[in-house]
Amino acid sequence: MSGTAVRYKDSVQPVRTDSRDIDRRVAVLTGEAADQQASGTAGEHAQKQAEVWRNLPQPEANDPTYYDRPLLNEPVWKWAIPTYDYIGGLTGAALVLGAAAQIGDTASRERLIRRCHRIGFAGVVVSAALLVEDLGKPSRVLNMLRVFRPTSVMNMGAWILMGSSVLAFGAFVLRPRKGRLRRVGQFCGYAAGVFGAALATYTGVLTGNTAVPLWQASRKILPILFGVSAMSSVGTLFELTVESAEERRLTKLFGTVGQTAELAAEIVMERQAAVVPRVARPLHRGLGGFLWRSAMLLTGTGLLLGLTPRHTRNRRIVSGLLGTLGSVLMRFTVEHVGTVSARDARASFHQQRAGYGAAEVTGRTAAVL
Amino acid sequence: MAETKGFFTDTTLCIGCKACEVACKQWNQLPDDGFLFTGMSYDNTVHLGASTWRHVAFIERPVPLTPQHDGAFSWLFSSDVCKHCARAGCLESCPTGAIVRTEYGSVYVQPDVCNGCGYCIVSCPFGVINRREEDGQAWKCTLCYDRLREDMIPACAKACPTESIQFGNLEDLREHAKERVRKLHESGAHNAYLYGATAEDQPGTEGLNAFFLLMDKPEVYNLPPDPCVPTKKVKDSWLAAGATAAAIALVAVGAGLFGGRERV
Repeated sequence: MSGTAVRYKDSVQPVRTDSRDIDRRVAVLTGEAADQQASGTAGEHAQKQAEVWRNLPQPEANDPTYYDRPLLNEPVWKWAIPTYDYIGGLTGAALVLGAAAQIGDTASRERLIRRCHRIGFAGVVVSAALLVEDLGKPSRVLNMLRVFRPTSVMNMGAWILMGSSVLAFGAFVLRPRKGRLRRVGQFCGYAAGVFGAALATYTGVLTGNTAVPLWQASRKILPILFGVSAMSSVGTLFELTVESAEERRLTKLFGTVGQTAELAAEIVMERQAAVVPRVARPLHRGLGGFLWRSAMLLTGTGLLLGLTPRHTRNRRIVSGLLGTLGSVLMRFTVEHVGTVSARDARASFHQQRAGYGAAEVTGRTAAVL
Repeated sequence: MAETKGFFTDTTLCIGCKACEVACKQWNQLPDDGFLFTGMSYDNTVHLGASTWRHVAFIERPVPLTPQHDGAFSWLFSSDVCKHCARAGCLESCPTGAIVRTEYGSVYVQPDVCNGCGYCIVSCPFGVINRREEDGQAWKCTLCYDRLREDMIPACAKACPTESIQFGNLEDLREHAKERVRKLHESGAHNAYLYGATAEDQPGTEGLNAFFLLMDKPEVYNLPPDPCVPTKKVKDSWLAAGATAAAIALVAVGAGLFGGRERV
């Protein structure tokens, strides 16, 4: 035995395990979380540092929290989602405008209709690409089309986008043809208008239908804000691109109504949120407050500039740019303030204590203490 | 269909040993979340998440525990978990049907269907479910579905040394919990109450399959006082969307009729 004796510490093979710390040569992964991908090694994880508190938690007997930690897990949506909200809105409103322009004598509006269908078709393609970007791979988008679930706003949205895509494609490809194909294209154009109206507004329903306190407080105004902002998006885009005066008069009316309503909806949203002051906080403070004010300022300035008489080309471009920036910024700001709101446990607590939790549905608050 | 199963977490019995956290990690083969020192009492787990399906909260209060009169300090411990709500926000918002209700009444995420859209995360009024960065999918407590299929009780309940975590048929648990509250009240702990035991107690979720016995305001445990599944209020949003859609169409038609022509 002597001479061949192996000391225990030499017999142990150093194993580079992942953060599960399971030696895969002797163990198999069959647990409920076996499909979770674990990166890094246990050693690397041990090196991690906890975030240092910037502000110490303020224990308050009448307004308690758990070390001021968030109650909710914050939204994981990145840039692709607010971009999708903007592009989807633009696409939807363009399809509505296209459908409306098809009514009656269209001889003078052919170019406008064509333009709307082109935006509609390009828009649905970009929208789908943005969803793929957000989810990681195309098959994950298709997962949403395996079921039809009216309780899930996102599932309804997937079907709305699907319908809009097919119809926008039909209108874009078939309507310029002749005879029967044109009639099919014409029908697609009208139907795309219906789906487009849904596409322009459902993202507001989706955002409001969450537990995030600020979004939840804005659940009635968000579909309105997103819808009218979509109108404004189309209007300001046409300010930048359309040359013919006749087309512009039509789109200008559509866009100006949208832009005015957009500004009004933003004011209403802020007021509604402020019913519970803590809930409106992200709209007033920090980066969120700055972005929110900037979006309103851009939209307001764009609107005023667009309404001035003596509409020169330069002035039109500036007003179109300001309006477009305002609408885009609004989408990103709504996303941002939602994330900030989700981090504030007191926003949820105050909201629910003030009777805007389940009490809104049941008429009474169930909290015992 | 089997009877509805659930947890009754009696926080007055919890001693903060975290055996439930460990048992959950171990049985389900969950990766770690990094080994952090937070400075929040003995809680270095912080919150429920994609790889944290049990979380013991450590609450230090300058409050004497009701029957005890020495010094104004007391601990509250509470092992938090997915509530498997009777009306589940995550389940109702899931666009792929990945989140389902099992034969045990629990709410289960099918990893092979989940597309990682993240909508369940913002739909949970308790901040339970989360997405894992590495695989981009949503994860949460499964009520140990694999163990239930083999007639075993969930790992956390099995490991709990004080029966703070009790597993069983929801109806039995409710009976037992009511009895426990009555006893606590008798012995002078008047603050004891049940959180989410029935649809009456928590209309916003229509009752939790994993409910709690608490001794202080829900906020103290990082639980919402009057949570509501967002889908309960979604009708308002759809109505607003419908009205807006109609208004957009109306303005578009109006613009087509009056906007196009040169005014004379």
